[in-house]
Amino acid sequence: MRLGRYRRELSVLVAFAALMAVLAVVAPRFFRAGQLMAVAVRNAPVVVAAVGMTMVIVCRHIDISIGSQFAVCGVAAGLMAKAGLPIPMVAAGTLAVGAALGAANGWLVAVVGLPSIVVTLATMVIWREALRYGRQGAFVSDLPEGFQWFGAGQSAGQWLILASAMLLFGAFSWGLRNLSAGRAIYATGSDPEAARLAGVRPARVVFGVFVAMGMLTGMAALLSAVRFVDVDPNAGTGLELQVIAAVVVGGVAISGGRGSPVGSLIGVALLGSIGPALVFLGTEPQWEKAVQGLIILLAVATDALDRGDR
Amino acid sequence: MIVETLLRLTGIGKAFSGVQALQGVSFDLRAGEVHALVGENGAGKSTLIKVITGAHQPDEGTMEVLGLPVEENDPVRSRALGIAAIYQQPALFPDLTVAENIALGLEPGGPLHLVRWHDRRRRAKALLDRIGATIDPEVEVRRLTMPEQQLVEIARALGADARILIMDEPTASLGDQEVEHLFAVVRELKAQGVGIIYISHRLEELPQVADRVTALRDGRLVGTRAMAEVDRAELIRMMVGRELSAVFPKVEVEPGAVVLEVQGLGCRASGVRDVSFFVRSGEILGLAGLVGAGRTETARVLFGLTPADSGTIRLDGQPVRIESPDDAVALGIAYVPEDRRRHGIIPPMSVASNATLATLGAISTFGLLDFRKERTLAATMVDRLGVKTPSIDSPAGVLSGGNQQKVALARWLASGPRVLILDEPTQGIDVGAKAEIHRLMGELAKQGMAIVMISSELPEILGMSDRIAVMYGGTIVGTVDRSAASQEEILHLALGHEAREAAGR
Amino acid sequence: MATTTGTTIGQSTPPRPGRVEPAQAALGALLALEIVIFGAIGTNFLTVTNGFEVLRLSVEIGLLAVALTPVIVGGGIDLSVGSLMGLAAVVFGSLWRDAELPIPMAAALAIGLGALAGLLNGLVITRLRIPPLIVTLGTFSLFRGLAEGMTGGVDNFTDFPSGFLFLGQGYLGGVVPAQVPIFAAVSLGFWVLLHRSTVGRGLVAVGYSPEGARHAGLRVDRLVTLAYVLSGTASGLAAVIYVAHLGQAKADAGLGYELLAITAVVLGGTSIFGGRGSVVGTLLGLFTIAVLQNGMRLADLPAELSGVLTGALLLLAIGLDRRTGRASPTTSRGHAHVDSDEEWTVKNSQVAVICAVILAAGAIVAASNVYVVRSLTDRLVGAGGPTAPSSATADASAPGRRPITVAMMPKSKGNAYFIACRKGAEEAAEELGVNLIWDGPTDPDPARQNQIIDTWITRGVDVIAVAVENRDGIASVLKKAMDRGITVITWDADAATDARTFFVNQATPEGIGRTLMDTAAEIMGGDGKFAIITASLTAANMISWQEQIELRRAEKYPEIEMAVLRPCDDLQQKAYDEAINIMNAYPDVELIMAICTPAVPGAAEAVKQSGRDDVKVIGLGLPNDNKRYVHEGITKAVILWNSMDLGYLTVHAAKALEDGTLKPGDDRFEAGRLGSVDIRGDNILLGEPFTFTEANIDQFDF
Repeated sequence: MRLGRYRRELSVLVAFAALMAVLAVVAPRFFRAGQLMAVAVRNAPVVVAAVGMTMVIVCRHIDISIGSQFAVCGVAAGLMAKAGLPIPMVAAGTLAVGAALGAANGWLVAVVGLPSIVVTLATMVIWREALRYGRQGAFVSDLPEGFQWFGAGQSAGQWLILASAMLLFGAFSWGLRNLSAGRAIYATGSDPEAARLAGVRPARVVFGVFVAMGMLTGMAALLSAVRFVDVDPNAGTGLELQVIAAVVVGGVAISGGRGSPVGSLIGVALLGSIGPALVFLGTEPQWEKAVQGLIILLAVATDALDRGDR
Repeated sequence: MIVETLLRLTGIGKAFSGVQALQGVSFDLRAGEVHALVGENGAGKSTLIKVITGAHQPDEGTMEVLGLPVEENDPVRSRALGIAAIYQQPALFPDLTVAENIALGLEPGGPLHLVRWHDRRRRAKALLDRIGATIDPEVEVRRLTMPEQQLVEIARALGADARILIMDEPTASLGDQEVEHLFAVVRELKAQGVGIIYISHRLEELPQVADRVTALRDGRLVGTRAMAEVDRAELIRMMVGRELSAVFPKVEVEPGAVVLEVQGLGCRASGVRDVSFFVRSGEILGLAGLVGAGRTETARVLFGLTPADSGTIRLDGQPVRIESPDDAVALGIAYVPEDRRRHGIIPPMSVASNATLATLGAISTFGLLDFRKERTLAATMVDRLGVKTPSIDSPAGVLSGGNQQKVALARWLASGPRVLILDEPTQGIDVGAKAEIHRLMGELAKQGMAIVMISSELPEILGMSDRIAVMYGGTIVGTVDRSAASQEEILHLALGHEAREAAGR
Repeated sequence: MATTTGTTIGQSTPPRPGRVEPAQAALGALLALEIVIFGAIGTNFLTVTNGFEVLRLSVEIGLLAVALTPVIVGGGIDLSVGSLMGLAAVVFGSLWRDAELPIPMAAALAIGLGALAGLLNGLVITRLRIPPLIVTLGTFSLFRGLAEGMTGGVDNFTDFPSGFLFLGQGYLGGVVPAQVPIFAAVSLGFWVLLHRSTVGRGLVAVGYSPEGARHAGLRVDRLVTLAYVLSGTASGLAAVIYVAHLGQAKADAGLGYELLAITAVVLGGTSIFGGRGSVVGTLLGLFTIAVLQNGMRLADLPAELSGVLTGALLLLAIGLDRRTGRASPTTSRGHAHVDSDEEWTVKNSQVAVICAVILAAGAIVAASNVYVVRSLTDRLVGAGGPTAPSSATADASAPGRRPITVAMMPKSKGNAYFIACRKGAEEAAEELGVNLIWDGPTDPDPARQNQIIDTWITRGVDVIAVAVENRDGIASVLKKAMDRGITVITWDADAATDARTFFVNQATPEGIGRTLMDTAAEIMGGDGKFAIITASLTAANMISWQEQIELRRAEKYPEIEMAVLRPCDDLQQKAYDEAINIMNAYPDVELIMAICTPAVPGAAEAVKQSGRDDVKVIGLGLPNDNKRYVHEGITKAVILWNSMDLGYLTVHAAKALEDGTLKPGDDRFEAGRLGSVDIRGDNILLGEPFTFTEANIDQFDF
């Protein structure tokens, strides 16, 4: 019974383990510290965004604007660093920008009551195009030395990124399970009207979740931006679908109320290692999207067959 | 004994987009009493409840709890005032466990309050034990049956340790045994000084539990009386403003040939096993039993919603296969489901569209709709059934429960079925509409339709059926003739005892 | 107490499904407002040809949107339509070219494939009961992946017969684009299906309440599956028309179209939750977006603003809709909570609507202000004004009377390389008093290039200079421009020779391939393995450079082996990731050759971070991006022409052509600070590619 509730997480974990096993036999080089670190650091921002998306989907909404939010936050971080702000201020500022973008979505969804998929479709276009207009695609370059790796040097910086991502992941996983705020998100997603009658204020919960999503996207953008010496304003295109796919593969129900950040983490791990794995397995890289699509369909299909059992 | 007034409402008024739902309603609740609230559907009972729980803000009037005025009420505030409610349809979280469902809203603290899972489980277990329910607190609510969910809802309301407890049709989906258990709990709470507002359409229940009764009609207060002073007829008069001559206008029809015959029907997924019965033209077969006995499940199997995996179904003597509802419809089997708003009608669609949805073939040529035919057909059905609607273009969802039920029926009458299955046809609808539906059933039987009626109300079963099949544990345990049937006999069978004698068949 | 049917039947004109709802009326009014505004401020906006051009450009997305309407009305969504276009396009191409089937047969099979793919979506959704958003997210990846896998990403099917291309490029009776009647017929078909047929009525019921529809005996699964099959079929048809329109079939056809189509549907008032919606609304939504884009270009307003406005309109439409329409209860159970929700949201949505109106109006006002200022200056400077429809021809007879307008298009606006080109172009424009329009797709997108050129033709610019993304697809629109008396040149990447007068050639693919390979061989010492990071597996110039690199390698350096080729989608971060993967998966790779601008610093950063001092980077890039890596010794050489000079030279050539000082057949011309420039045939030569190394890189700043 207890295990049954985590069946989906387990099956994705098994799939991930199988992929790793194949790699261990065929391409043991994949497991060299450098490569693992690279894959981990690259996916750390995705994990952070996936934690936010888990909350959004659990409370029965969706946010397809995070790719654009990511770009805006990254550019904002770069500009603040360039303006000479110290790194902690840059971090705080980036989170604030993310929170503001999230609050715009949250206001339209929770307070005005518009469907989240339409709201975030609109804000996705608005923010992406506004950024394009503002920057005309130009990178934010000539950043101060203290920006890359938080000024901590490469190896320490990598660990810092991983640690921040894991800390956020841990904190949010724990909070979603053990804080009343976290449970309110599940309650809202499971049945907003029942939540209202139980004294939860769904509008506040939804608004809060979108703000948190924005902040986590800001954090993801920061963790991603500090890996490089300059900031690409086109970063984050397609991030939304990548994150949604990972979260869904990880067992978060699109109908709300069910799923956990742990599942999403495994989802990110599985989808995030397919690309590198294909390279190591010597497969033609152009099949990557097809494989990803198959994995998404297989993951949800096993779910459906699962249901058939009962 | 000091009679303490827990709740006092004075001159409450509430309008929705211009329609006056409540007008000048006053109501009070004393400690240690059960105050019944009755009225036809649309009389304003639910709105009044929602004003008390803070789900709605009244436009006018005042509310006092323990003598203190309450302004700016909302669900959180009303809970803090010691008000808890059990809703007609459980307002539970399908994806969360029973324990968490019970705990949510009961636990204090802000958003950063730590959840104690162990305490939650223990409390859930204790509350469920108190109402005699054996439900695992760790199971997710969506895996529970409707009556089990109702029990969880009751346990949750008990857990609130409320001074004012509102029960909106708590027995609607419960079997008799569970109802008895619930009444025991109600008496216990009364003794503890809790005030209970009790809403029910089962008028015969009220003398068992209620001390006073208040009737509403068209959003206005009709009056508040001591329960001992009023009898059933008086109650009905208060609710509808007229005497009902005959509650069950049973029309005697000489049954014709067997239309539907079922042998050894089973469906493992829904727990239906070895069901055998037949129904003749012009006959009403009552399907009785406790909640969970497999009545609705049997109907769903017959209608192809959960296809049978064993047994045979014969229509006019010919064996048929029913794999899906459209098979059933093609064979002339119609089903008016229990859950009107979800299954019976499609609320946002117009009355006309709803009434013709099962007969699209009749209002189209080569798949193209003929709007004139549609409107003529819909208007005919609306007329025939006496549906009260502003227009046939109004969304069916805005009608009252009884009229929604008529629309759900209209859809099938338009298709002219051989067999009509009615699942709780009068549950939760007002007395006037109830009588009209009963009259209609008689009329249809007279025209030669074979009718299967599922009902949890024994008087309805006894009053309307020609024969009564009683179900228990997913199968039919006995069939009795109307003439030979008594409440005791049916209850005896429904509780799983052996049939005392093979009374007719 | 009495039933009211008798009176209600004759009471009023019966509202019918598909009737004009308030939201639609509002959208129609908005569309009219757009037309009025752009008619006033746009050049040649209110002409029949422009009207048809807008229609033509809407056809592919329109087909998807119209077919998506029943899907969304039925409570579903289909994210896979754009990807399916890609798959159907390459299957169509390969059936015609490789399987040598006649065009109609190949087209029929491609459309059939669309139907089949739609069937797959429908069956997975209905049989396995998986939410459509998830299923089509999966097939969104799968179909695009299959298209890329099948063609290896690089195969580009071209040279379709002209009879077929007529379908996408020709005009019936000289005015009506050939694909428009097809679109009209399909739209009419979907309108009948959704609003006049039992299928449509069933889908509406399913959209509002699948369980309710099932209890009414409707074949819910069959209806839903049918909607997806039709949506897939429309994608197949859209793919065929897309191929005919662009003259090429590649795996990237229809990229991103799904979101545009969904935007049009939702803007048209179809509820994303299902049940309510109309084909007419979708068409209104589609044209609102298309007219906005077209009008912004013709009014010389930034194209990005049309994106921002589209988003704002979407919010506005949905907010209005919320106020007037009754959204169906979305909770799974029929709680009687409708009243309370309404009470609460209506007030707020009014606020939202007002806000959105203000936002949209503000943007339009701001935009028109910009225009007024600009047009005033135009009028002061030049007589006649740019609105004169005959400006292009009139101008040829009277050179120098007013500043000529040169419209210059990069492959994509955001790319740093093209940003550098733009600087040079602006420098020349100022020097020569030329009115320069710089516009292009934000991402490399051949369809968008055609679209922009079409609006330029309508505006009546003097010279069009294009960096061509799709050689075969662009020819017909360039020829059309030449027919209207516009001078056409190409730069950076060429079109077919008969579709332009001159090509400003910065360097030939041979030159680039040779220089890159020679430099690589020199660094590697004549043997070993190297890897290539490219922008995308489908970009034409990338493919030709890869071919030239491979030719050179096979010819001169057989000892050297190309280990792997990875695309980075023109993203620096992805290039970084790929470089890391390459170094770990192929530890013996000695050199990474990055052949797109963002990839060079991306790969260099990866090498730096991995600490692999045995791997070197070379590539095509800008000096400023790469200076620090060159100085750190990671990047050995960056090869590029002076891209600022390229932009500068192009504008000079445009001006000289328009002034008549440069004519076909000349073998040199004076180009400002560049002095005398060589012309070989019809190629204006910028000079050999330049190799930036540690020794010289600091002398450049672009």
